[in-house]
Amino acid sequence: MHPALSVIFFTVTSGAGYGLFAITCLYNSISQSHPLGDEGVLLSCAIALGLITFGLISSTFHLANPKNAWRAFSRVRTSWLAREGLLAILFYPIAALYMVTIWKGIGGYNWLAVISMLSALWAITTIFSTGMIYACLKTIRQWHNALTPINYILLGAMLGGLIFLFIVSMYEPVITGLVVTSTYLIIIAAIAKIVYFFWIGTPAGPTINTATSFTRSMVRLLDVGHTAGTFLTEEFGYQVARARLIALRWLVLLFAFAIPALVLWVGVGLMPISVVFAIAVISGFIGVMIERWLFFAEARHVVNLYHGTQQC
Amino acid sequence: MKLGLVIDLDTCVGCNACAVACKQWNTSGTTGPLTDFEPYGKDPTGVWFNRIRNYEVGDYPNSKTVHFPMSCMHCDDAACVTVCPTGASYKREEDGIVLVDQDKCMGCNYCAWACPYGARELDREDGVMKKCTLCVDRIYDENLPEDERKPACVMTCPSHARYFGDFDDPNSEVSIISRERNGEQLMPELGYEPVNKYLRPREKKNVDTYVNETNSIKAVKDWVNRLVAR
Amino acid sequence: MDQAFKRKSYSLKSSITTKGISVPENLPQFEDHSKQETKFTTCYMCACRCGIKVTVEDNLVRFIQGNKNHPINKGVLCAKGNAGIMKQNSPGKLIQPLMRKKGSERGEGDFEPVSWDAALDYLTKRLDNIRKTDPKKLAFFTGRDQMQALTGFWAQQFGTINWAAHGGFCSVNMAAAGLYTTGQSFWEFGDPDWDRTKYFLMWGVAEDHSSNPIKIGLEKLKRRGAKFVSINPVRTGYQAIADEWIPIKPGTDGMLALSMVHVLLKNDLFDYEYVLQYTNATQLVVHTPQEMGDGLIYRNEEGQPLAWDLEKEAFVDATLAEIKPALFGEYQTPEGKTVKTSFTLLAERYLGDEYAPENATKICGVPADMIERLALEMAHVAFEESIEIKTEWTDWAGRKHDSFIGRPVSMHAMRGVSAHSNGFQACRAIHLLQVLLGSVDVPGGHLAKPPYPKHVCPPIKPAKPKAPGEPLDGPPLGFPTCPEDLVIDDDGNPLRIDKAYSWEAPIANHGLMHMVITNAVNGDPYPIDTLIFFMANMSWNSSMNTGKIRDLLREKDDKGEYKLPFLVVADAFHSEMVAFADLVLPDTTYLERFDTISMLDRPISEPDGVCDAIRAPVVEITSDVRPWQEVMVELASRLKFPAFTNEDGSAKYKGYKDFIVNYEKTPGIGFLAGWRGKDGEKSLRGEPNPKQWEKYVENECFFEYKLAKHERFYRFANKDYLEFAKNAGFVASTKPITMELYSETLQKFRLAGLGLYGGPQPKDERDQYRTARFFDPLPEFYIPLEQRCTSIEEYPFHAITQRPMMMYHSWDSQNAWLRQILAQNYMYMNRQKAIEMGIEDLSWIWIESKTGRIRVQVKLMEGVETSTIWTWNAIGKQRGTWGLDADANESNQGFLLNHLINEHLPCGDTGRPITNSDPITGQAAWYDLQVKIYPAKKGEVGVWPSFETIKPLPGSERSKEKLRYQTHEAVGLNRSLKDILTRGDTKRDK
Ligand SMILES: Nc1nc2c(c(=O)[nH]1)N[C@H]1C(S)=C(S)[C@@H](COP(=O)(O)OP(=O)(O)OC[C@H]3O[C@@H](n4cnc5c(=O)[nH]c(N)nc54)[C@H](O)[C@@H]3O)O[C@H]1N2
Ligand SMILES: Nc1nc2c(c(=O)[nH]1)N[C@H]1C(S)=C(S)[C@@H](COP(=O)(O)OP(=O)(O)OC[C@H]3O[C@@H](n4cnc5c(=O)[nH]c(N)nc54)[C@H](O)[C@@H]3O)O[C@H]1N2
Ligand code: SF4
Ligand code: SF4
Ligand code: SF4
Ligand code: SF4
Ligand code: SF4
Ligand SMILES: [Mo]
Repeated sequence: MHPALSVIFFTVTSGAGYGLFAITCLYNSISQSHPLGDEGVLLSCAIALGLITFGLISSTFHLANPKNAWRAFSRVRTSWLAREGLLAILFYPIAALYMVTIWKGIGGYNWLAVISMLSALWAITTIFSTGMIYACLKTIRQWHNALTPINYILLGAMLGGLIFLFIVSMYEPVITGLVVTSTYLIIIAAIAKIVYFFWIGTPAGPTINTATSFTRSMVRLLDVGHTAGTFLTEEFGYQVARARLIALRWLVLLFAFAIPALVLWVGVGLMPISVVFAIAVISGFIGVMIERWLFFAEARHVVNLYHGTQQC
Repeated sequence: MKLGLVIDLDTCVGCNACAVACKQWNTSGTTGPLTDFEPYGKDPTGVWFNRIRNYEVGDYPNSKTVHFPMSCMHCDDAACVTVCPTGASYKREEDGIVLVDQDKCMGCNYCAWACPYGARELDREDGVMKKCTLCVDRIYDENLPEDERKPACVMTCPSHARYFGDFDDPNSEVSIISRERNGEQLMPELGYEPVNKYLRPREKKNVDTYVNETNSIKAVKDWVNRLVAR
Repeated sequence: MDQAFKRKSYSLKSSITTKGISVPENLPQFEDHSKQETKFTTCYMCACRCGIKVTVEDNLVRFIQGNKNHPINKGVLCAKGNAGIMKQNSPGKLIQPLMRKKGSERGEGDFEPVSWDAALDYLTKRLDNIRKTDPKKLAFFTGRDQMQALTGFWAQQFGTINWAAHGGFCSVNMAAAGLYTTGQSFWEFGDPDWDRTKYFLMWGVAEDHSSNPIKIGLEKLKRRGAKFVSINPVRTGYQAIADEWIPIKPGTDGMLALSMVHVLLKNDLFDYEYVLQYTNATQLVVHTPQEMGDGLIYRNEEGQPLAWDLEKEAFVDATLAEIKPALFGEYQTPEGKTVKTSFTLLAERYLGDEYAPENATKICGVPADMIERLALEMAHVAFEESIEIKTEWTDWAGRKHDSFIGRPVSMHAMRGVSAHSNGFQACRAIHLLQVLLGSVDVPGGHLAKPPYPKHVCPPIKPAKPKAPGEPLDGPPLGFPTCPEDLVIDDDGNPLRIDKAYSWEAPIANHGLMHMVITNAVNGDPYPIDTLIFFMANMSWNSSMNTGKIRDLLREKDDKGEYKLPFLVVADAFHSEMVAFADLVLPDTTYLERFDTISMLDRPISEPDGVCDAIRAPVVEITSDVRPWQEVMVELASRLKFPAFTNEDGSAKYKGYKDFIVNYEKTPGIGFLAGWRGKDGEKSLRGEPNPKQWEKYVENECFFEYKLAKHERFYRFANKDYLEFAKNAGFVASTKPITMELYSETLQKFRLAGLGLYGGPQPKDERDQYRTARFFDPLPEFYIPLEQRCTSIEEYPFHAITQRPMMMYHSWDSQNAWLRQILAQNYMYMNRQKAIEMGIEDLSWIWIESKTGRIRVQVKLMEGVETSTIWTWNAIGKQRGTWGLDADANESNQGFLLNHLINEHLPCGDTGRPITNSDPITGQAAWYDLQVKIYPAKKGEVGVWPSFETIKPLPGSERSKEKLRYQTHEAVGLNRSLKDILTRGDTKRDK
């Protein structure tokens, strides 16, 4: 699949935003005294919403006819994209309610627990639906599995967690528990991603034989029937050399997981705390951006079978 | 009704007539124009609803060349429609034709991602998704002579490799021929239930050889003249 | 047509449908039909000439579809025909007459517009002068046209022998072999009986002039369960759907056919009665080796051929009915000569071991058992599955028969066989096979299309020069039957500029257009003054050795004058040829003009019907172009050709239409066969009808006369048909048409080569050798000429081309839709072979022949014979032509194979160069090419050679980045909001 920058930005930043928001809320509802204080929470939420909004705006750049974007919520009955859109839009009032709750201190503890749980769940569900946009496509084996939404959630949470750490560090000295939790999150996300890499490595899925109904012999493409590229070859024909993909996978593991985990683990104490977290965040973002690029670049749409690919 | 096509791979010679007929009809049709880019320049390309690809099955000298026309299969379980967030893509209740409402599409490409058969092409100029309409603007146009109320591609196919009709009607040409010749769906494992069916090449014909047991002529003198009047 | 219409939209309510495909309610009106007009005409996106129905809206073409009533295409249309809109829309169209700019060099393409009057005044003066001094100094050659009856007549009236159409570089071998053997042929001359045949053999056909009919026919075969065998080195297109594919080595079909003949004879499997009754098999051939008259038919005093009557035990006139002639045997004549039936010679020849499948396989690469099996399968179908059509008919001798017996084996062959220098004989071999199976013009076999069959061969001789100012006695092209018919001077030198009908190509029925430029520039046999090319791209895809030809066109003499003084190009598009013109006369497109597809020409008949057609304009001309037909008639009047001038010197015809309607070739016979007679009540023959055009237009622009059931088969011996044909002017006599398996005509030329002929004989040793060697009276196989002087070790590959179904020669690259399908060609080769040679898919390779080399991109495939490489024909284009941008794929990745093919045999002889053509007919030997291939060096990419970029023509429109063709605003079909919000899934409510 052709990796469109707008979509990469969208999924990574909004994922991180929802992750951050969810963690902020969750932390808030779990820990009695929030280390950030109300102002910190609001800042954290604002940053999260900023990321989310940036992501959503970025996603509209992907549209060829953005003037109809408002219609994108029409088909929540069936479309994960519509659901995602609706969840994303409805998240704003919920987030606002949460922030007002914090800001004005309204409602009791129970209300706070309810609204923060609701916001966190909503945020996670939204990332889940982002993942489902891809996971529901039977045409792309690399996406059409449970690991896709899991990865989206874990990576969003991971990035959110790292940003959260950074924000917390501006208010509080190190909170070991948080660092440890973050590290676990990184490790779990890394494991999920590694499992994914292995999983998509085994050939499965439709073949040129089932695509053409000639199942008993070797089938080879002779001619595509057009001189130049088409919408189909541009959108789906994107292909990167195997070696480069492998190299990029190592970069993902390095930037998204190894560096953040390592700095969290050994960096604290060696460097100023904000530098440690800044490195983790930046590296994490770079890593997840590459991961997202790979998510597209490694996905092989079945239409490629008709253009000569033997198996997707 | 369940309208769709049957493509006969036994007779398709890959002439591209159907593809061009589709282009000329539809560029002034209900989802037209079908924009062309660099029409006279480098790498000309454009929006087509029907494309012919060519494959080779098996190895030389026993290879078989197969011409493979593909357009929208008007799937019964059309994920292209379920994924469409705007509702621009829909499957008509009355006849099963899958269409894109050009006024509602936002050009997100999502439906194209969901289509296994490469049947949808974005018109970058209009910013909307376009696809085979099953010539809805022909088949129902009562101002056209009745025998011309067929898709342009079907009308034009010189080797009669395309059939159009109602699969709900067990006595329609398409139902009968796909029954008789085991019309197949492409990539059935994906479960889209494509309506269009493909007829695989017929079995190779076997012809007896004629050997004149009693005869083995070695030279002209072996022949005896017969008395035949001119 | 860069229009950006908006969209109107309508909502659609749900509808009620019951059975069948009924129309749902509330559909919008998608088109405003009241603004549209439908008109009929004849397609000319190619020479198949299908009937089309065109919907026009505001002088724009909305839709072109097949005319379902038309005999040729029965409603279907090919890809090209479907792309007519984009021909009409092409930025490559010529829009006004042009003169080469003073001081500019030929080939630079620097032009200035002139008016039609000025252009025609100038041309008239020039031509008038030529006509009055030495008419053969005008050479007029026409390419892809189908109006040879007019152009040939024009040349005849002008008085130049230097006229021909493209047949010589196209498929004259096929036509000539047929007309000299069975009186009909494949191609436009005949078709398989698609409705009845049970076994079909296709030899070397990729597309043919019979484009849609073949496709329609193949499907019929498949539906009926007939077997389709394809003989072709490449498996694409039609071959893809063949039940059996025979990857033959190029140039060896003659051997394959003769080996099948061997198998049939050896098993005594041939139609004894058919051969005896309808061919010259029983005629006796004089056997006096090394003597004058050897190999000629033994004749009586009246010149009638003789046979041996088995009952009378005497020599009898072989043309009589009711004789009982011997098919085999050797007899002594009273004069003491030995004579043998020609069939004896034939059987002796083909029973020979060299034709045994075990030996043939070494030449054609087809396994021996396969050759044998195919022959025996055909025999089985012909003799065990024969068919009978119950219809009473009368044979030539007046005998009644109550049915037609059919041998349902049929064949079709085209340029894969004929575009080789042994093609004439190979085609004859195929006809022999057909005749032995008794399958010519019988039900289920191969059927002629009227005006064929003709007598073997048609009684028209090539015209010889006349005094200046006088018309020729007949058409420039004809059918020689003996050396006396050659068009040579007393020293035996060629008289025609293309050397047709000279010793180099004695039976050059269609001329040798591919030699004209070379010969004219070299003054060989003489220089000419003016050359007119109509509809031929001779500086590009229709010439051999294109690079050299382009140089020749620019070559000057010592005085700095062009060796080819004046070149007129009548074209409709900015082709590569245009740049070399001194005067460009722009033609219309086919949608803009009147035209005829005449019985006098290459008609569109079907086996069971006599057909002709016209073209009538469907859109108005919007630029300063004129139909070439009109221009020809005007020039004819200006030059005062006798047939175009009244006694008082005034023009006889007002224009083309007037000419077509009123001109009579012989009384009652004119260009159009339909609605003749004063009131249009007569068909085929009748006085001119002033309303004839209108009748054609009314009848969807075609005319079809169905033959009666009893006139549809065995027409070579069918009394009623022959009488009908004579009346219609198709044949000159009602005598039966005797098929000539043994060709006395060829033997006469051979005797001349051997020095044993009592008339003109060749003086040059090579001419002697060539006539003696190749003019075999029996179909014969020989190694193609180029291979005879090219080491197969050094040049191990055969390089051939094929026509792509969606492109017509050079002229569809300007088509915005078609070029999206194919704007770049590759060189295809066998995958396994490439792997052995270390050649990678899509890499750049050099292809080298004795003539030159080209660099191209290679593509690997399964379906190609291992020693063959092939590409699509005529895709490569010169930069800047055809309204294309300079960076168009055609000019930068597409290529021409023609650079590697020499118009002279690349045999390094020291004597005069000899044309790279069939030695009998002069058919261009495109497919004899032998090459070697090797990978290009690193960094060597892109096609080579490439030529300078041609400037745009004055007034031409620049091409656009975007094309949005539409004849009206689209009427959209909308989904209701309610449906969007309420419907759950995609499915219908069950
Ligand atoms: N290598 C190789 N070369 C080949 C062949 C091959 O198989 N291989 N095939 C050969 C054969 S069989 C043939 S017939 C020739 C064909 O070669 P050509 O006869 O040269 O055919 P085209 O390339 O179609 O060019 C015909 C010209 O007609 C012009 N034209 C098109 N429409 C009109 C019109 O309406 N009016 C006028 N006045 N002009 C028009 C076009 O612009 C073009 O310049 O090529 C031969 N060359
Ligand atoms: N679409 C389209 N249609 C056309 C034309 C066009 O340009 N485009 N051109 C028209 C013209 S002018 C002509 S003359 C006709 C020609 O019509 P065809 O005769 O069909 O033309 P070619 O493309 O030359 O096809 C020759 C075939 O013979 C095969 N072949 C080559 N060498 C041999 C051999 O030695 N033995 C055998 N058995 N096969 C061999 C080639 O692989 C190829 O498939 O088509 C006409 N129709
Ligand atoms: S028109 Fe018919 S034969 Fe030609 S490509 Fe289409 S389906 Fe095949
Ligand atoms: S073929 Fe593709 S576009 Fe057509 S209905 Fe099926 S999924 Fe949708
Ligand atoms: S591109 Fe248009 S039709 Fe396709 S999913 Fe998006 S909005 Fe729907
Ligand atoms: S049915 Fe109509 S729109 Fe669909 S492929 Fe055929 S011609 Fe094109
Ligand atoms: S075969 Fe095609 S291009 Fe040729 S005349 Fe027929 S429709 Fe036109
Ligand atoms: Mo030709």
